[in-house]
Amino acid sequence: MNLDWNVIWTYRGALLEGAGMTVLLTVLTMLMALPGGILLALMRLSNYRVLRGISLAFVELFRNLPLILIIYWAFYVMPMALHVQMSAFTTALVALVLNISAYNAETFRAGINSIRKGQMEAALAIGMSRRQAMFKVVIPQAARRILPVFASTWVSLFKDTSLVSVIAVSELAYTSMQIRAQTFRVLEMLTAMAVIYWMMGYPQAKLVDWIHRKYGVKE
Amino acid sequence: MNANIDATQAVATPTFTRKGADSPPVLVYENVRKTYGDFVALSGVSLQVNKGEVMCLIGPSGSGKSTLLRCTNALETLNGGRVLLDGVPLPTRESDVRKVRQRMGMVFQGFELFPHKSALDNVAMGPITVLGMPEAAARDRARALLDKVGLSTKADNFPANLSGGQQQRVAIARALAMEPEVMLFDEPTSALDPETVGEVLNVMKKLAQEGMTMIVVTHEMSFAKRVANWVVVFENGAILEEGPPSQIFDNPKVTRTRDFLSHLGWDG
Repeated sequence: MNLDWNVIWTYRGALLEGAGMTVLLTVLTMLMALPGGILLALMRLSNYRVLRGISLAFVELFRNLPLILIIYWAFYVMPMALHVQMSAFTTALVALVLNISAYNAETFRAGINSIRKGQMEAALAIGMSRRQAMFKVVIPQAARRILPVFASTWVSLFKDTSLVSVIAVSELAYTSMQIRAQTFRVLEMLTAMAVIYWMMGYPQAKLVDWIHRKYGVKE
Repeated sequence: MNANIDATQAVATPTFTRKGADSPPVLVYENVRKTYGDFVALSGVSLQVNKGEVMCLIGPSGSGKSTLLRCTNALETLNGGRVLLDGVPLPTRESDVRKVRQRMGMVFQGFELFPHKSALDNVAMGPITVLGMPEAAARDRARALLDKVGLSTKADNFPANLSGGQQQRVAIARALAMEPEVMLFDEPTSALDPETVGEVLNVMKKLAQEGMTMIVVTHEMSFAKRVANWVVVFENGAILEEGPPSQIFDNPKVTRTRDFLSHLGWDG
């Protein structure tokens, strides 16, 4: 078998840019899906039936569709349905944020519900408003408790960004596939891709383990 | 059965003057009803609490004592009747309810300290968040209160590093930080190890001696007998008997009060 590993070095710039795009997508998605998840969780826990209904519908829709379908949908259907034109990058971001917000909402909701009812009552009893009790007492405790779950979502998201390659966003997976198409170096490029994803993913996974140990529930 | 309870609702002996009887009552409960589905937690309870009085609510579990306490600061909503604080019915609008809650401190069976805050910050949090007090002033107040409950050396400890009795004393300081007119205690020693019960009861006794108006739901009969000015016995969501401790513990007018006390092994 005739292998040519030099192809990786030749295309190092493109691969690096692809890896950078993968990180950028992950970070931007989480930056938006974090407040999105909190908002959806608070809507779900509110006293207003309409807000609860909207949140429930959103979460159950986007949590139970394959991410790749949401990406295709955002790419093909959304522009027609909503009459908006977006770049592939923005489209990818929308799809990822919809999906991850739904996951985060469930994580936050579980976290908030896991805090004893007595904590809310103790806060109310000293005269706090519900909002103060939520943001000063319940959410800070819930955030600690869900940190491990949240970190796992982060690592999944990091890998799942590869799915947006189907709409030609030039992140790591797409870039690797493009180089493969140009050079016909399938094995080398797939290996390079695996190595790069692994080298970036492994420290994150270790970080998650560490967070689990440090902040995991110890009650 | 209701008629029976009404008929046997005994009052104090005529010669007894109740503490604080010379000024208008702080709290008045008028025919308070509370139901959870089919379960009647309070079946029309009427009661008054005088200024400076220590009132102990006793009775079997599930008899409605804690529910009445929770109706007092609107943690529960009523299904009938009303509660008046200084002659004014409890409000229903949230912003008004908050004002009322600031005037009443509450201590819970399970302490419910905020685990992500130090003892000092637990106490200072109410004044800072609710009263908008500057942080330094709030911390000074918190320090003084921790000193008062005997925990000045534990200010920086987090709740997880305090014993049950210490946590409950911090919880009392936290409630006092809002400078309440009334303190509500919901079985404050029921979750404690026996050896730490005393330190909490001592703090409560000190508060009582300072003239704090207190409502205490408790199973500590010796505390009720020694510290309470007025004791109310609950059964099945209604008042079985009320009176000064000397009446309830030494000479109950209602047979079932005697039965309840003897079940606890109370022999005076």
